[in-house]
Amino acid sequence: MGTGNRWAHCTPEFHALSYCFAVRSDDEELARRAQAVFAGLRTRARGTPGPAEAGVRRRCWYSVRTAGDGAVDVWRDEAVLAACGHPDEAISWIVWDVNRSAADTGGDHLLFHAGALESDAGGVLVPGASGVGKSTLTAGLVRAGLGYLSDELVALDLSSGRLLPYAKPITLKAGSFGVLSDMRPPWDRAPEWQVAVGPDSGLAVGRPCTPSLVVVPRYVAGADTTVVALSATEAFLTLALNAVNLVQHGAAGTDALGAAAARCTCVLLTTSDLDAACRIVLALLEQRAAGAGAVGAGVATVFVEE
Amino acid sequence: MQMPADWPTGDSRPLRRDGASAVELDDNLALYDDVGQLLILLNASAASVWGHCDGSATLDDIVRALVEAHGEDARVIEGDVRQTVRKLADLGLLDDGGLGFDGRGDAMVGG
Repeated sequence: MGTGNRWAHCTPEFHALSYCFAVRSDDEELARRAQAVFAGLRTRARGTPGPAEAGVRRRCWYSVRTAGDGAVDVWRDEAVLAACGHPDEAISWIVWDVNRSAADTGGDHLLFHAGALESDAGGVLVPGASGVGKSTLTAGLVRAGLGYLSDELVALDLSSGRLLPYAKPITLKAGSFGVLSDMRPPWDRAPEWQVAVGPDSGLAVGRPCTPSLVVVPRYVAGADTTVVALSATEAFLTLALNAVNLVQHGAAGTDALGAAAARCTCVLLTTSDLDAACRIVLALLEQRAAGAGAVGAGVATVFVEE
Repeated sequence: MQMPADWPTGDSRPLRRDGASAVELDDNLALYDDVGQLLILLNASAASVWGHCDGSATLDDIVRALVEAHGEDARVIEGDVRQTVRKLADLGLLDDGGLGFDGRGDAMVGG
């Protein structure tokens, strides 16, 4: 990518699955902030294909231009993406567009609306629609030491059966600010926090891994924290409903979902307490690592934390 | 061509259509139909009927096999099997063996 010479700073390339991008701005501080926010997409963990092997489907520049009154325009290549009233909003727009583009170009893999993490006991999938608490739980587990793979869009490589890192910044909404206040980014004027991961953040990016635990989160205000075993059928349907491109992968995708549902411990986690929820997930992973069948289908409630 | 009201009959031989991928889940079966691009979950009973739709067993054979396996009332099972086979046909999951519903009363029969 050429940089031109009217920009105060241009970031290196980032890789969001098969989508490649870089950010430039006439405001050096803003461009360096983008570089920090997307640091997780510079990290190539051991075992992750490099850009050439992964097959880059699309390359774009995000250009951020400031105006004298503090307003900021965000362009993607030659098209305006957003007109923002504050620079912090510009970063959120780029995160949003990167996520959309990663989904559009990542069709070689089976994609899910889910969070994902890497642990010693294998991968953890946290599927769910927007608002169920998957980013909050994912952030809590990353803070607890698990490797971060994604908080929103998860890629399952069909040939290896492994979850691949797509370490976008963790996007937290206002409802999570209180319980994750220590993750507050230095820039926080946008309605959402974009929490950087990867080098210098203290939050590790995970490596490709085979899923071993599926946690379906359900935030219910005031609820005790309970975990209920899901059958393979229930887990399969949950994954299928949260798959982005199952039709594209047809029988191969269905087989992969079936294999994941059969292999994984699958639970429904109802909670209003992030710390309790994280403790339970870590306990389930410990039991998986120890080789125990953590939760058997048909067991009603195996943990309750009040 | 419309499915005849009395189909399937006792000597119909329903046949699973190629291109439907099956994944076993607990006692259930998930079918992905590449042609219709549908994901269909069969419960244990429907999965059992689907398993018998090999183009050689007649509907009466399937009913007999399920009565033997489950020991339930043959008339109840026959009704369930007939309904399930019709539903599978409605979903396009049975092969018509090139015969189609041509009034021979054995549509969806392979051979």
